[in-house]
Amino acid sequence: MAWRILVAEDEGLAAMAIEDELVREGYEVVLAPDGQAALEAAAREPPDLLLTDLRMPRLDGAGLIRALRAAMPALPVVVMTGYAPSGGVGAFASPGEGPVALFAKPLDMDAVLLELRKLLPGP
Amino acid sequence: MHLISDVATGLAYLSIPAALVVFAMRRRDLAYPWVFVLFAAFIIACGATHLMHAYTMFTPAYEAEGLVKAITAAVSVTTAIVLWPLLPRLLALPSPEAMAREVEDRRAAEARALASEARSAAFIAHLAEALFVIRVRPDGGFQAETVNPAFERLFGITEQAIRRQPLEQAVPEAMLAAALPHWHQAVAQRQPVDYVMEAETPAGWRVWQTVLVPMVSAEGPVERLLGSARDITMTRRLQADLLQSARLATVGTMCAGLAHEASQPLNAAMLWLRSARAAAEGLQPEARLTRLHTAFGVVEGQLRRAGDLVARIRALPDDEAGATQVFDVGRTAADAVATASGQYAPEGIEVILHNLPGPLPVRGAPARLEQALLQLLANARDAVQDRQAGEPGSEGRITVTLLEEAGEAVVEVQDTGAGVPDALRDSIFDPFFTTRDPGRGSGLGLPLAAAVARGMGGRIDQHNAPEGGAVFTMRLALAPLACLQPAEEARI
Repeated sequence: MAWRILVAEDEGLAAMAIEDELVREGYEVVLAPDGQAALEAAAREPPDLLLTDLRMPRLDGAGLIRALRAAMPALPVVVMTGYAPSGGVGAFASPGEGPVALFAKPLDMDAVLLELRKLLPGP
Repeated sequence: MHLISDVATGLAYLSIPAALVVFAMRRRDLAYPWVFVLFAAFIIACGATHLMHAYTMFTPAYEAEGLVKAITAAVSVTTAIVLWPLLPRLLALPSPEAMAREVEDRRAAEARALASEARSAAFIAHLAEALFVIRVRPDGGFQAETVNPAFERLFGITEQAIRRQPLEQAVPEAMLAAALPHWHQAVAQRQPVDYVMEAETPAGWRVWQTVLVPMVSAEGPVERLLGSARDITMTRRLQADLLQSARLATVGTMCAGLAHEASQPLNAAMLWLRSARAAAEGLQPEARLTRLHTAFGVVEGQLRRAGDLVARIRALPDDEAGATQVFDVGRTAADAVATASGQYAPEGIEVILHNLPGPLPVRGAPARLEQALLQLLANARDAVQDRQAGEPGSEGRITVTLLEEAGEAVVEVQDTGAGVPDALRDSIFDPFFTTRDPGRGSGLGLPLAAAVARGMGGRIDQHNAPEGGAVFTMRLALAPLACLQPAEEARI
């Protein structure tokens, strides 16, 4: 069974291209246009990994990460953002939480794919 | 009995004037010596009438006695007449007690004046404001007469040096040249002059406010200038920092917003370019595919360039927490200088480092500080090259000097370029401000260096050296030496 990646990204064009890449890599992809939609999608189909933007309408990336990790503390998270959060990766790494990888936009997609392979080892 | 009485009285009357004359001769400060002469004459005359009276007992020389009496009468009447108008003036003369009191009063006043003078001297010596007295020579030139300790501290010029040497030797040329017009103005207008000056002094860069008061002699010309100078270097610096911070906060918010907004379309474009590349795989004919790949390459190159710019703008804000440690500025400066001199030596630019014997501990990220120093060095290199383009053969040297000043670690980067024009000084730390041609320099180097300094509780100032060229001064808060990382210490 393929790993399921939940992609929270409010830029539709970027989300479509990311979905394209991930599907080609053999992942199952669930797209959500904002944090709230992603939370609802996760409730229906629990993801193996969250790939999320930070600045989104309704619920932002940080809120989404906290909400999902309350239920799934070990959920791996990859953040892609136009804003570098102060404190870098450390801003999302509380004790007992799964790893967070941080990528600045524009994304270096090869580096993102490499990170995904590391976090979700081949089945 | 008549005879004995008259002779005794006459002799006594002759003796009294002798005593009076002796007294008058000894006390040469007598107010009216002629009164004593008159009294003496009057008493001698009286004595003479008594003696004459005794003489006429034996010889009837009544004519002579009458003559003596007439003389005595004349002298007595004269004395009586002269004495009455003189009486008020004699009464006005101070008595010995009054004299003693006055002497005592004057002595006390003198002591008070001395004490007051000592207080004034102590006051001037301990005054926070720099005081100086300048003598205006008859030829219109100036010579310092005295300065107080605050002056010595403010300008780093000792009283001995400024009093013993001509001003041209004791005071740096640029400082004197800037001050002289104000001095001439005070002399010409004979009015106090108030001015603010900034210059490189032997004690460093200073800004001060001076009030110059001309002291006029009885005949008219201005003899001296009394100056008091207040150090406003720190006030100016704080004002400038506040302005700069406010402006950078606005610019920083704008930059962060711009970086975010620009990163979104760039991100989508990059992702779709990958998609296009994937879709083009195996396309025929081969020539078309090659052309398509060339096009993809160009588009990707341009997108990456824009992406790099966004990344650099994102690096600007200074609130990046990150991991900090206490490290030695000297070590970081040496690393930066080694990197820069390796790059600039082939271009004929020498980079010199004046390090301190001991470590200068500060808190921050050493890599960020090295990056900031490299930006300052690159800026200095550009300045030197700009000047060399206009004046071939001009000197190419960058001097990095480390100092410890009042709880701060100071790194000075001085170049042999043309210096920063005054009109541009306020703008050089603004992001995207650049004097270079498009494509050369993004205008982000100095703002980045300044952001790093602010992030470490410091700042960067710029001024031009008296001998020409720009000086960038980075000041960082000193950290306790004891906090220096053991690994760092081992490396020193």
